[in-house]
Amino acid sequence: MSKHISSLAPSVVVDTAAARVAVSQLIGRISLRARGDLAAVGNAIGVALPTKIGTCAKADGIEVACLGPDEWTLLVSLNQIEKVEDALAALYPSLPHSMTEVTGREVTFTIEGPQAVDLLSIATPRDIASIKVGEARRTLFDGATVVLWRDAETSFRMDVWNSFAPFLATTLETGAKELAAELA
Amino acid sequence: MSKYRLRGRGRVDSSKPVVFTFDGKPYTGLKGDTVASALLAHGVHLMGRSFKYHRPRGAIAAGSEEPNALIGTRRGPGRFEPNTRATVQEIWEGLETTSQNKFPSLKWDVGAVNDAAYMMFSAGFYYKTFMWPRSFWDKVYEPFIRAAAGLGVSPTEEDPDTYASRYSYCDLLIVGAGPAGIAAAREAAGKGLSVILVDENPEMGGTLLSEPQSKINGKAAWNWLEDELAALQAAGVKLMTRTTAIGYYHENLIALVEKLTDHLPTLPEDTPRERMWRVRAKQVVLAQGALEKPMVFHGNDRPGVMLAGSAQTFLNRYGVKVGNTPAVVTSHDSAWYAAFDLQDAGAFVQAIIDTRAQVRQDLQDEARARGIPVKLSHTVTATGGRLRVNNVRVNPVSGGTNVGAGQWIKCDALLMSGGWTPSLHLFSHTKGSLTWDDDLTTFLPKDTPEDCVITGASRGLWGVEAALRDGAARVGEALAKLGIGSSASEYSVEDDRTGSGVMMRELPTDRSPGKAKAFVDFQNDVTAKDLRLAVREGMRSIEHVKRYTTNGMATDQGKMSNINGLNIAADALGKKQPQVGLTTFRPPYTPTTFGAFAGYHRGEHFEVVRKTQIDAWAEEHGAVYEPVGQWRRARYFPKAGETMDQAVTRECAATRASVGIFDASTLGKIEVVGPDAAEFINRMYTNPFLKLAPGKCRYGLLLGDDGFIRDDGVIARVEEDRFHVTTTTGGAARVLNMMEDYLQTEWPDLNVWLTSTTEQWSTVALNGPNAAKLLAPFVEGIELTEEAFPHMSCVNCTVAGYPARLWRVSFTGEIGFEVNVPAPYGRDLWEKLWEAGQQYDITPYGTETMHVLRAEKGYIIVGQDTDGTVTPADAGMDWAVGKKKADFVGMRGLARPDLVAPNRKQLVGLLTEDNSWLEEGAQIVFDPKQPIPMKMVGHVTSSYNQGTTGRPIALALVEGGHSKMGETVYIPMPDRTIAAKITGTVFFDPENSRLKI
Repeated sequence: MSKHISSLAPSVVVDTAAARVAVSQLIGRISLRARGDLAAVGNAIGVALPTKIGTCAKADGIEVACLGPDEWTLLVSLNQIEKVEDALAALYPSLPHSMTEVTGREVTFTIEGPQAVDLLSIATPRDIASIKVGEARRTLFDGATVVLWRDAETSFRMDVWNSFAPFLATTLETGAKELAAELA
Repeated sequence: MSKYRLRGRGRVDSSKPVVFTFDGKPYTGLKGDTVASALLAHGVHLMGRSFKYHRPRGAIAAGSEEPNALIGTRRGPGRFEPNTRATVQEIWEGLETTSQNKFPSLKWDVGAVNDAAYMMFSAGFYYKTFMWPRSFWDKVYEPFIRAAAGLGVSPTEEDPDTYASRYSYCDLLIVGAGPAGIAAAREAAGKGLSVILVDENPEMGGTLLSEPQSKINGKAAWNWLEDELAALQAAGVKLMTRTTAIGYYHENLIALVEKLTDHLPTLPEDTPRERMWRVRAKQVVLAQGALEKPMVFHGNDRPGVMLAGSAQTFLNRYGVKVGNTPAVVTSHDSAWYAAFDLQDAGAFVQAIIDTRAQVRQDLQDEARARGIPVKLSHTVTATGGRLRVNNVRVNPVSGGTNVGAGQWIKCDALLMSGGWTPSLHLFSHTKGSLTWDDDLTTFLPKDTPEDCVITGASRGLWGVEAALRDGAARVGEALAKLGIGSSASEYSVEDDRTGSGVMMRELPTDRSPGKAKAFVDFQNDVTAKDLRLAVREGMRSIEHVKRYTTNGMATDQGKMSNINGLNIAADALGKKQPQVGLTTFRPPYTPTTFGAFAGYHRGEHFEVVRKTQIDAWAEEHGAVYEPVGQWRRARYFPKAGETMDQAVTRECAATRASVGIFDASTLGKIEVVGPDAAEFINRMYTNPFLKLAPGKCRYGLLLGDDGFIRDDGVIARVEEDRFHVTTTTGGAARVLNMMEDYLQTEWPDLNVWLTSTTEQWSTVALNGPNAAKLLAPFVEGIELTEEAFPHMSCVNCTVAGYPARLWRVSFTGEIGFEVNVPAPYGRDLWEKLWEAGQQYDITPYGTETMHVLRAEKGYIIVGQDTDGTVTPADAGMDWAVGKKKADFVGMRGLARPDLVAPNRKQLVGLLTEDNSWLEEGAQIVFDPKQPIPMKMVGHVTSSYNQGTTGRPIALALVEGGHSKMGETVYIPMPDRTIAAKITGTVFFDPENSRLKI
């Protein structure tokens, strides 16, 4: 229980032949809620909002995942947050919406390696195979709500509220070792 | 090599001897043996004692259905497990096993006195014997029953093993890798589907492992098996052995338990002992096969009496003859083949005793050709031998019931077969319906609501060819639903052993059936006589018969006993079996460890633990934690040698004297944004919010529809359309859900959105007369003066270089601030304040001090001073309810007659007359001299003696308390009655003079 995890101190949680898990550096995050003229939102932030839940879009310095019928998560570099926020603020009078910065809320684990999918399946009830490369899902991992981004067949990012991170890191570490032992 | 082992026969490895111990005595088996097969190879049949009568017992079966041969297994400290089936446990070098339910030894057991007194222990004996006298229950009967009951000995040490879990999705899951399952897998393989084939045994093949004589499509059975499995593997079918499908749940969710290490001599690192798979399969094929039925006759439980099919398994799979001079008793053709196999392997079969008058001529011819005496229309009426069968009493039967004179036949094993019962366990878990088949005298599967098909022997088919063809055909239905066409492969099998039989109840006997020890449920020691007694005593439904007799309630879940029990009960009732019914099969299919269910969730990983970003600092500074919801929070920070009371007293005093620092990050936070944000908050909370100006905070009270207090917190209007709502730590998720519920179902017209920001912010609270002085130098953008930043203000500014939401609020009655910075910076902010605070003797405090200081001010804690039945008025918080509001959640509830009735329990302060501390939860009475039971008029909700008022204080809910100021109430305790005076709830600085900077 002495594991402490902070986005300010990226570190490797576990690295085995099966999978490598690391804590990522802090990145800008915005939770966006909106309905109506979504094209206007897309124009403001510079990337069209994907509208199918689970799909993502990417443009220069910004990555968007649609997590609900009126909900998106925006990932931007730290020095771009203000720019995006200003653009959305300018849109607010004509298209009221909710833009809430949640940069500090989450910790991101990168999970990669030949058995990354198996590692996720030890504690995710969802079918990992149903997440296509380039998509994201809000789901559960070991009892905590997470957002899983699939960057490649065997490469994922897992966003989780920071207070859950130490607990999940333990699960990931146990699992990566278990899977490696199975390979041996 | 022992005289019962046939070298080179079976699937064990003759070149790899393995030494293990049973009850301390070393035995040599072969790699591939189970404990049972290895012991049988040494002629050891006695493996345990039954649990009620302590009768000597041996293995009756060869697989997971075994009810008798339960042993303890041990692998060093902590790794002892009782009730392992000797027929399943594979041996490895050094394995220690012990028999159970014996004292002082397996061969001479004093508990067997129960056996002699068996007439006393008939069905329902618990209910009858132990009812009277009542006073004997606690001291005599219950301890006796508890000591006598139960199987084996519970482990006493902590389990050092680890357990794992895995979720899996597949197109097709096939349960059971016998001929039907393998044929099904073969049809599905190579069609681009994800297919999983599981089997509980260490190797796949099912019945083929026990019947190597057949030729499938021209190939010897075992060669065919090897080729098929290799082909399946090559086609990408996931083959899982030692994996039991324990339960079939809704929507084709199947739980599998995979045993990973129980068969290994050394435990590999980082490898769990078992893994629970939760498989969601689009289609399922159940090919669980059939289980052989014992025959019911006096002495059918003697070691050496076993199922004929199991004897065949021991012979063909393990190369072990269960006896050199066995006899066979049967009502089914299959046992004849067991006799032939044993005879051909060098045993001398003493007789085949068949209850039927007519048996296939070819079987009779084969028996004669081998010189095996055949006795048709015969029954077995007794067995002899102390710890192992050594003879069997055989009588002719005519006209079905006329039993002639008995004749004893010597034998060293008695093989029985009462026919076969399709294994419908998982099918029944699906809520599948069954249909009674008169010809087979068994239930067969009918309909199931799940996407599954059932095939092979588990739907009553018999023979390898029938199973193969059926597996290939039935999987076609599943494949069709997956959109895949298929045409079932053809199979032809030579030397297939098909056959049929008749159903028997108890075998006819010339002796008193009332004295027969003819066992139906071997593990629970239920006899045919018990079942008939249950019917005589009024049990009509099989469910009642089951509970009265415990038939089928043992750990084998009636795999051996259910159908025999049903047949006997139906006969006793004079009804047909389906009218008496079949008891429900429930998961798990076989006994399952708790570890498999717990998975990773044990020890420190038992449950989710949430930690703030400041938690590590608290840990480094010796905090003692308490769980609050899923969070662990610092409760207090003891200095060397301090008790909790001393630490909390010090923390309270230091905060009031100078400044205390507190991690409030766990408070729930919800960002409410949109043009209708104010309207939404105004409707949710009792307090008026429409006119709250940006930059201001207000306390908010949240009710349920019923008008009772649900949550509270401070709400800041950050901007015109943006509120920062706080909730209690434990209530965060609940409140957000409640708000979303109202927003989506009641007020979808409101243009507002909710975002959880609990974890966006680290919240550092500073409280005390020096709080402003300490904080001011860190703050840019606002002056911390009474004028510029009065109590209940909020501002977006910079604190210690970090963007912050700074609030001036107080939960202690002191000057107070809450600094919210993005979560990762919380620790750094805390350390900077800590360092600068040294000049003010800054003191970190925990939740306990927070509780004391707020109680001194009469601030409630929802869930401690309220319990879901407290209204704002009860809590003395009418001031928080907006009188001019048109509506808010709970407004209508508050008008209910019982909520406005006088004399409700109301929150008051209590000061004890003798300055003693009251126990939280203690009940309160008005008149301590009234007769018992006294009328209780309330209880103590909060009580502290570590505060700064120089005396213990308490809050309590007391009937009509608000109109009883100054009156005395009484708190009866076990040793004395404490008197206390009712006061207001504010014990400290009632003028709020200390809030001013």
